[in-house]
Amino acid sequence: MTVWRKLLRHRLGAVGLAMLAVAVLVAIFAAVIAPYDPYENVRVSIDDIYQSPSPQHLLGTDDAGKDVFSGLVYGARVSLLVGFAGAFISLIVGGVIGLVAGFKGGRLGNGLMRFTDFFLVIPELALQIVIVAIIGQSLRNIILVIGLLGWTTSARLVRAQTLSVRARKFVERARAVGASDLYILRRHIFPQVVPLMLANAVLTISLAILAESTLAFIGLGDPTVISWGQMLNFAFTRGAVSAGAWWALVAPGLAIVWVVLGVTLLGNALEDLLNPRRGRHFLEPEPAMPAEETVGPAAERGAPAVLAVQDLAVEFVVAGARMRAVDGTTFSVRKGEALGLVGESGSGKTTAMLAALRLLPPGGEVVGGSVLLGGQNVFALTADELRDVRWTRMAMVFQGAMNALNPVRTVEDQIVEAISLHDPDLSKSAAQERAAHLLEVMGIDADRGSEYPHQFSGGMRQRAMIALALACDPDVIVADEPTTALDVMIQAQILELLKKLQRELGMALVLITHDLGVVAESCDRVVVMYGGIVAEQGTVEEVYSDPQHPYTKLLMEAFPDMEDPDRPLVSIPGLPPRLDRLPPGCRFAPRCPAAFDRCQVERPPSYVLSPGREASCFLLESRQVVGV
Amino acid sequence: MSEGAAVVRPVTEPVVILDDVAVSFARGRRLVDVFRRRPGSVVQAVDGVSLELRPGEVLAIVGESGCGKTTTANLIMGLLRPSRGRVIVDGQDLAGLAESDRRRRRRRMQMVFQDPYESLNPRMTVGEIVAEPLQVHRATATRGESETLVLQALERAGLRPAERFLAVRPVELSGGQRQRVVIASALVLEPQVIIADEPVSMLDVSIRADILNLLASLATKQDIAIVMITHDMSTVAAFSDRVAVMYLGRVVETGPSRQVLTSPRHPYTQALVSVVPVPHPSRRRPPLVLVGETPDPSRIPPGCRFHPRCPVAFARCPQVDPPLFDVGGGQKAACLLVGG
Repeated sequence: MTVWRKLLRHRLGAVGLAMLAVAVLVAIFAAVIAPYDPYENVRVSIDDIYQSPSPQHLLGTDDAGKDVFSGLVYGARVSLLVGFAGAFISLIVGGVIGLVAGFKGGRLGNGLMRFTDFFLVIPELALQIVIVAIIGQSLRNIILVIGLLGWTTSARLVRAQTLSVRARKFVERARAVGASDLYILRRHIFPQVVPLMLANAVLTISLAILAESTLAFIGLGDPTVISWGQMLNFAFTRGAVSAGAWWALVAPGLAIVWVVLGVTLLGNALEDLLNPRRGRHFLEPEPAMPAEETVGPAAERGAPAVLAVQDLAVEFVVAGARMRAVDGTTFSVRKGEALGLVGESGSGKTTAMLAALRLLPPGGEVVGGSVLLGGQNVFALTADELRDVRWTRMAMVFQGAMNALNPVRTVEDQIVEAISLHDPDLSKSAAQERAAHLLEVMGIDADRGSEYPHQFSGGMRQRAMIALALACDPDVIVADEPTTALDVMIQAQILELLKKLQRELGMALVLITHDLGVVAESCDRVVVMYGGIVAEQGTVEEVYSDPQHPYTKLLMEAFPDMEDPDRPLVSIPGLPPRLDRLPPGCRFAPRCPAAFDRCQVERPPSYVLSPGREASCFLLESRQVVGV
Repeated sequence: MSEGAAVVRPVTEPVVILDDVAVSFARGRRLVDVFRRRPGSVVQAVDGVSLELRPGEVLAIVGESGCGKTTTANLIMGLLRPSRGRVIVDGQDLAGLAESDRRRRRRRMQMVFQDPYESLNPRMTVGEIVAEPLQVHRATATRGESETLVLQALERAGLRPAERFLAVRPVELSGGQRQRVVIASALVLEPQVIIADEPVSMLDVSIRADILNLLASLATKQDIAIVMITHDMSTVAAFSDRVAVMYLGRVVETGPSRQVLTSPRHPYTQALVSVVPVPHPSRRRPPLVLVGETPDPSRIPPGCRFHPRCPVAFARCPQVDPPLFDVGGGQKAACLLVGG
């Protein structure tokens, strides 16, 4: 139902659907619409032939003196019949072969795909001509030939989709439950394949219509029925050109174009709607903020902040609605400091850092605040300046980054590329030397640099990604869940490395994670985020030994401590807030055991409890320190 | 034990026994191997594992990827046949059962997967998902009966009021609720054993405890045996009765969870325990980080499989493959320093 509505909203799709609907209606009501019956045998005089368009014959007459308009109307029946029936056969054959090949795999699957490849390379039209010429030019034969030769695309498409659905967890789960192959096909695979097939079917229809027209045009149509190709054929071979009877040629030609265009538009729209392309790339939104070169209060304490996020606000536009993912977030990292950015999914921790690098995904927009990187407002940079800053001042190791290496280039190559991009004057050998050094720092033998990512284990790939982030000697490294999906021992190795790097190179590290243990082990300061705001921040010692915000307290109690297995683990009741339904007052109020009336309506500001220690909860209002 | 005969077992009798099982997979010869005239390699996924699982008990299987924990789970499920040793379920050797009997057995073994976002078919409603095992096994005669069972399962999985969830699709649920749906669909066939493969690793910290408490209560209150496959030592300590630490296809240490984690005897367990981050900066301690990675299971080192990475290995380790030595209190460790 929703697809239907979406289709009507898809402008080109709606046009295509309307065009096809007109053709279908014309075919159904041909007898009513057509002023003459083209199948009726009437005596014609020589004057009736190739009459130009007139009120009696809207589109003139043809070589046999028959009404072209009526021919077009009746021809719609044949063209659409061949189109739909041919496509139907193609889909059944292609669908079955694709499903079996994709689901069964192995020898049978391979055999079927080679069979498909064989059909794919045969020039279809030539084969159609030969077969029709041999078995006879009846409408049924033409439909069969078109149907039986046009299934290859469907087969390949269905197989690909089947393969990908088969690999999904819910299919594995059904199998573990004990479901049979037939059940899995029917219940899990087929419903996922059908939408794609539908989009493909529509395109197959247009191919079938074209094939029929072509066959008819070259004289291999069914001579007993009127189709548009047939009309073209007769007009062309029986002197329409020399008689100047353009209508006899143009009218059926336009009819073919009409239906094929309509069907193609519809098919493309369906494919857009049903086959969303995955793996969108990060786009760089234009700087949304006015350039304000402020040096904020970030440089307050001791070493200057290398990265200062000030009142940052980020919104996403999803389906027309604006959702605030980050709402007035302020924190900073100093040189040589490790900052842990902790929060659950949807807390805005990753979004804040993506915004700081201006790498927000499409739909994301910075709507307030600033990010100062070494005193420079990131949002005020031009695209060129931004390119310079990225990677040389701040580099990011993305979540699941170990799968982000280019599989067809050696690891060293990729690091050399990053170095050369930002330092074009460096000689190739010097860049290679640096790459080898970086790999060694990360505990990878320099001679393994010439290997490809697939030859690396997950842990090694993650090290290589960190080496890549280090390529341009950045001031800040942002690591987004750098150890998730790695084994515990490898996690420990990576964390040790990051700590060592940060100590030895004096880098600032921002570690985005949900793991309180990881932060406790490897960070100096911690920022706890909830629903797009900073709930609490301070040094790791302060926050862990004496959490102030109720959320932080509960989060600590929810986290298992191996050294204290008898402490019962709590769950925080309720769910993290949805960005499209943020509570009006404190973001945590709906789940907070200590919430009172004010929390429901008013948003607490961030109270400074001591220099660098802040928490956003009304309970702390009285403990606020003024004038720091 | 005679086949087919109903076996009346006392409550403490194990529901599943793995008796010295081994599974090896032939890894196909790759093109490189053909050129170098090498035979295809054989991967010993599991090699000589013995485990017992009792009703009402939570057994944690811990280890890094490639240690054989998933293979062990599949053996218990009856999805894999051992190449050596016996898998005994309810006193019956699975090897002696016909395929149809094995499938019927599988009803009593259910699995909960790691990723609640991926393991539910987005096109089905919660009601359909939970009813699916009933349909697959044709376990109910009528629609009404099926719905009653589905509602009961949803309740037991903590989705209340159950009626409200029947027509809901997975997209509308949070991660924790989805995992509860997965658990409900495991419960609907009244299983004896639930295998939970990293059941909370994809969930937010604040709701993990709920799911783990739910699984633990299924064990204590409903006598279901639970196998929890995990790499997270801190949940092992809090939520399991016994633990089996695996390394390269072997159980290297096993015993009561608390005891093993507070006084691990095998150097590998010691290292695993030491690298678990403790959420208290004041208690930071130097972790014992092992160098290197778990070797390829097709190239298992001679002697003790752990010796190349072991910080305390000595001369005999590469020569002797240590069995599990009893160290008292039900704890066993496969290390020469313990019993050799």
